[in-house]
Amino acid sequence: MKINRRHLVIGGAASAAVLPFGTAARAQAKEVVIGVIYPLSGASAQIGVDAQKAFQTAAELINNKYDFDLPLARDEGLPGLGGAKVRLVFADHQADPQKGRAEAERLITQEKVSAIVGTYQSAVAVTVSQICERYQVPFLSADNSSPSLHRRGLKYYFRAAPHDEMFSQAMFDFFDALKKKGKKIETLALFHEDTIFGTDSSNAQLKLAKDRGYKIVADIKYRANSPSLTAEVQQLKAADADVLMPSSYTTDGILLIRTMGELGYKAKNIVAQDAGFSEKALYDAVGDKIPGVISRGSFSLDLAAKRPMVGKINDMYKERSGKDFNDYSSRQFMGLIVMADAINRAKSTDGEKIREALVATDMPGEKTIMPWKQVKFDAEGQNTFADPVLLQYVGGKFVTIFPEQAAVAEAIWPMP
Amino acid sequence: MTTATIIQSLASGLLMGLLYGLVAVGLALIFGLMDVTNFAHGEFLMLAMYITFFLFTFFAIDPLLSAPLVGGAMFLFGAVAYLFVIRFAMRAKANIGMVQIFTTFGLAILMRGLAQYFFTPDYRSINVSWLGGKTISFGGIFLPVPQLVGALVSLAAFGALYFFMKKTDFGRALEATREDAGAVALVGIDKNKVFALGWGLGSALIGLAGAVMAMFFYIYPDVGASFALIAYVTVALGGFGSVFGAFAGGIIVGLVEATTALLLPPSLKAVGIYAVYLLVVFIRPRGLFGSI
Repeated sequence: MKINRRHLVIGGAASAAVLPFGTAARAQAKEVVIGVIYPLSGASAQIGVDAQKAFQTAAELINNKYDFDLPLARDEGLPGLGGAKVRLVFADHQADPQKGRAEAERLITQEKVSAIVGTYQSAVAVTVSQICERYQVPFLSADNSSPSLHRRGLKYYFRAAPHDEMFSQAMFDFFDALKKKGKKIETLALFHEDTIFGTDSSNAQLKLAKDRGYKIVADIKYRANSPSLTAEVQQLKAADADVLMPSSYTTDGILLIRTMGELGYKAKNIVAQDAGFSEKALYDAVGDKIPGVISRGSFSLDLAAKRPMVGKINDMYKERSGKDFNDYSSRQFMGLIVMADAINRAKSTDGEKIREALVATDMPGEKTIMPWKQVKFDAEGQNTFADPVLLQYVGGKFVTIFPEQAAVAEAIWPMP
Repeated sequence: MTTATIIQSLASGLLMGLLYGLVAVGLALIFGLMDVTNFAHGEFLMLAMYITFFLFTFFAIDPLLSAPLVGGAMFLFGAVAYLFVIRFAMRAKANIGMVQIFTTFGLAILMRGLAQYFFTPDYRSINVSWLGGKTISFGGIFLPVPQLVGALVSLAAFGALYFFMKKTDFGRALEATREDAGAVALVGIDKNKVFALGWGLGSALIGLAGAVMAMFFYIYPDVGASFALIAYVTVALGGFGSVFGAFAGGIIVGLVEATTALLLPPSLKAVGIYAVYLLVVFIRPRGLFGSI
């Protein structure tokens, strides 16, 4: 279409007419719409369904009065916006970055969301955050852990939780600490899936191993959702490292442990990069084969002993989902709290104002359900105060074993 | 690379291959009979695995015992799917190929959605079956018992199918309908009955596959996808329409996958399968044992 002066005048008049009404309508909004993008169907659907419950629990806390020392819990709705309620719009990305891109666009243009939270798979977070950047809508990675995500110079990208380098660092700190105590750890075997999560995770681990003098005896990249992992396990078995370090989602994790059993390979120790290894489904399926497995995490129910509200909020989540909070659902829960807190302080649903409020975030650790020191974003939108923890699966549940200040038990090493 | 490693790889590849064969045979049977590619094949497998899982959870029937039951249930399901869905798709006046693709594809999406709705997307598994987790080992070679039994079931099922096709009246009717559906109608054979029987048989085979796989694989609404893709390649490799070809194709795919993983990084093991497939299609477009 050729644009002539008449079009410009009409267009200008139209936007002039719409704009003030738009802002006026927004200022009095009785609700704030937040988009939540997760895999609600497909191979990781269970994660999305559990995430939905975690977000609903957070929304309930925000929208109603509760006596918890958590931002927004004691008020009804967002006081900064005249008590406006938070309304969540869920979108399904089916673990597909392209579908994630399309859904983000739909949420922003059709559903008029003020912010987006997501996405479980880091590969999807890449595309969703790009769309958010283009529309200047703040995006918060609730549970993505790939380090490359916050290093793309995006202005609207934020992550309150730790990333894989921080997680991997904690693992290697743990190895170093064990070595000081006289345990033998020399060789490591990496086993990682072939999308951004597995690749970033193994890159971080490769680098740390080199820096700190550990020998990588196997570095196996495999195709996610393979029908068989026999060949992969054979190579792990041949390498027989002191520590096996898997970065796998649930299905592959189950198959890995099953196949190890079938091929007569018992790992001396397993220190996992979370994902499948923090999922109940994996422990239901093969938990008996890996007593004493260690996984990194950002959450532990142990915290409830120090901070009783953690236990109470966990009960609220459990009522909805039938499950305890795990590493994922806890971060998802906190993701919405952090975002809603920023919107509340921004006193606006405007993207730029919310962004400014996110930048100014300074939430003390005790006001969260996580073992974090605080929530405070650096120039790249990463919270560098999110201390990761290592958890060991003992007697059917996880106990915190590292770092020392958070630990409630001594690590059992080697695995029983 | 030790001899044990090589033998282990080939043995694992063979066991997996026999299973791939069993999964693919049903697909080939239906295709051979009426030129319909069942795009819901993976979902049929998923349903069979769920039936096995529920029989185990609620009635404590071991997958080994429930395999014939699951086969029977899937026989009925397949026949009903034909009579109530596929039959109507086959009546399309134009673009029949597209219609049948969309119909079976739609069926697949529907089944997946229903499974997610009713069974939830949680990952299930059967941990305490008689054979689950057991392994035979000798000389450094490990053979998981569930897969071994799966391979035997696969061989037996293929043998039975072969016998049925060659020696029984129904089997001969099936063969005849496959050759010329129009002509058999003239001699009074009800084409719809034969087709329903074909769908039933093909689905029963996938039922057996699902039952044995439930012993060692996890179960969730999308589980069919990873196996279905291999099944399509297997059928194309072995030759469209050839039940024997599908079976042989499965074994080849299993062995090629294992060998590739031995020689190349494991993340590339699927490359071997597709390379062999392309090679076959180049040299012999109808597949190794294809007749059309």
